[in-house]
Amino acid sequence: MLKSILRSIFRGDPPSTQKGRSELVFYNLWLHIHPAKVRKEHLKLRHTGYLGFVSFFLLLILGATGLALMFYYHPYPAMAYQDMKDLQFVVFLGPFLRNMHRWAAQLLVVAVFLHLCRVFYAGAYKEPRQFNWVVGVLLLFLVLTLSFTGYLLPWDQKAFWAITVGTNIVASAPLVGPVVKVLLLGGHSLGTQALLRFYVLHVVVLPGLAAALVMVHLWRIRKDGGLAPSPSGPEEISSPPRETPIPSSPEKTYGLMGIVTGKPTFEVLVPEEEEAVFSYPYAFLREGAAFLATSAAVMALALLYNAPLSEVADPSKTPNPAKAPWYFLGVQELLSHSPTLSGILLPSLMVLALLLLPYYDWNPSRRPKDRVLALSLFALVVLSYLVLLLIGLYFRGAGWAWVWPWAKGAGGAA
Amino acid sequence: MNRRSFLSLSTASAAALLATAGMGLAGFFRFLFPGVFYEPARRFKAGYPADFPPGQPVFLPAEKVYLFHDPAKGFSAASAVCTHLGCTVQWSERDRQFNCPCHGSVFAADGAVLRGPAPRPLSWLEVTLSKDGQLQIDKNRPVTDAYHLLVPA
Repeated sequence: MLKSILRSIFRGDPPSTQKGRSELVFYNLWLHIHPAKVRKEHLKLRHTGYLGFVSFFLLLILGATGLALMFYYHPYPAMAYQDMKDLQFVVFLGPFLRNMHRWAAQLLVVAVFLHLCRVFYAGAYKEPRQFNWVVGVLLLFLVLTLSFTGYLLPWDQKAFWAITVGTNIVASAPLVGPVVKVLLLGGHSLGTQALLRFYVLHVVVLPGLAAALVMVHLWRIRKDGGLAPSPSGPEEISSPPRETPIPSSPEKTYGLMGIVTGKPTFEVLVPEEEEAVFSYPYAFLREGAAFLATSAAVMALALLYNAPLSEVADPSKTPNPAKAPWYFLGVQELLSHSPTLSGILLPSLMVLALLLLPYYDWNPSRRPKDRVLALSLFALVVLSYLVLLLIGLYFRGAGWAWVWPWAKGAGGAA
Repeated sequence: MNRRSFLSLSTASAAALLATAGMGLAGFFRFLFPGVFYEPARRFKAGYPADFPPGQPVFLPAEKVYLFHDPAKGFSAASAVCTHLGCTVQWSERDRQFNCPCHGSVFAADGAVLRGPAPRPLSWLEVTLSKDGQLQIDKNRPVTDAYHLLVPA
């Protein structure tokens, strides 16, 4: 009886047979995106920091908690703030879920940023992984846009003024700026239409785009030959000069849409036995551990710290000082010096420089000692942004005037 | 079908497909612009002149406008929207200047930029008397800071 029920749900042969076992392997998505074997070195924490996995798991957590929050949220100014209060005080597990969503979002910004730094430091964006770097930068941009659109939804003072400033930065872009602003807000000022648009972008459009890009990102890792080896280790073997090529089987046809015929066009290079281990269970176990650690960290943060919520949005009264989310404070600090130049030009140039990095960095070497200029320039940019961010976070008070953080009544964290 | 007719047919089909996609995109682009803006009117009545005796400027919160009443020159109205990134500026009576809380711009009483990143002075708006005797402010009609409306008492 039980057996027949199970057999009706899980079709295919049971894993007790040879055929069943191979089907289990062929039809498993998570197995499918892994190679059969991975290098031992790549499983070490110090190789990648598991930052890509952590980012991926944070996205999963954000999807799950975000979906839950949607049950109690109306994207309408008169109700949105009340919904936040309900989530804080009335909804069972409401504060926990909202905290998780908030902290996971902030951790994600940190994780993708560190992920980018790690990949840059390892030179992993170089041949043949140029395009996956581009996908990664687009994903970073999507994460920032997601966090920006999500920031408006609580409809509190912080949200309202951060997005007012943000959309006016967009409007200061040459030529297209004002049109894009109207398009984004569905009007000329932040109101009902804008909240609805940001909501749709935040819960449907941007997550959909991000999901699609994440798939491409993961798929490209395998297509580009797995993770890049350590920059200090031996150079990667790019094209396999095999002495005895794998013979193509006469039974197999490679008729992709009837256009391509003949032998396989590429062969897979299997790493040496002694430095490679099976993905299952060695990689799976570590990925599971990373998932548990990420979830535990987010839950711990959610239990310990409450997500901030300021008073309800008041279009006539700008809080003083009005600060952007902390990771945008570097941009805001630059903005306080000159608007179009630092709000539009500098960030656009930065994004462009990041996107095109693999195509203008001609240096083929991935060894740190051959990349002194690239590494120090990158460190300089990162450090100067961090300094600007810290200034914006701790040294700016009312009217964006300079204050010492230990002075009485200082602005404090955003 | 020969090669020539096949190629011309494919070109025509591809062009038709592209044109359809283009029209669809253009339509969607236009669709995203609302037909009606449910927003506060750009021209509004602030109240009767007698409600605003000379002295400190009055802030009209819904419209984000400061209404000034100079005993000699008359009424004038300044937009409280900072020309930098749209925060609401605050009038400080002590320093007789506008302060922007977002990025520290400071504007003089005539709207000129004194300090900070603001690229332009605050905008001054036309003040007229409507038929029912109320002060009417029109955000669509910017004026210079010299513009005043003198209402005989």
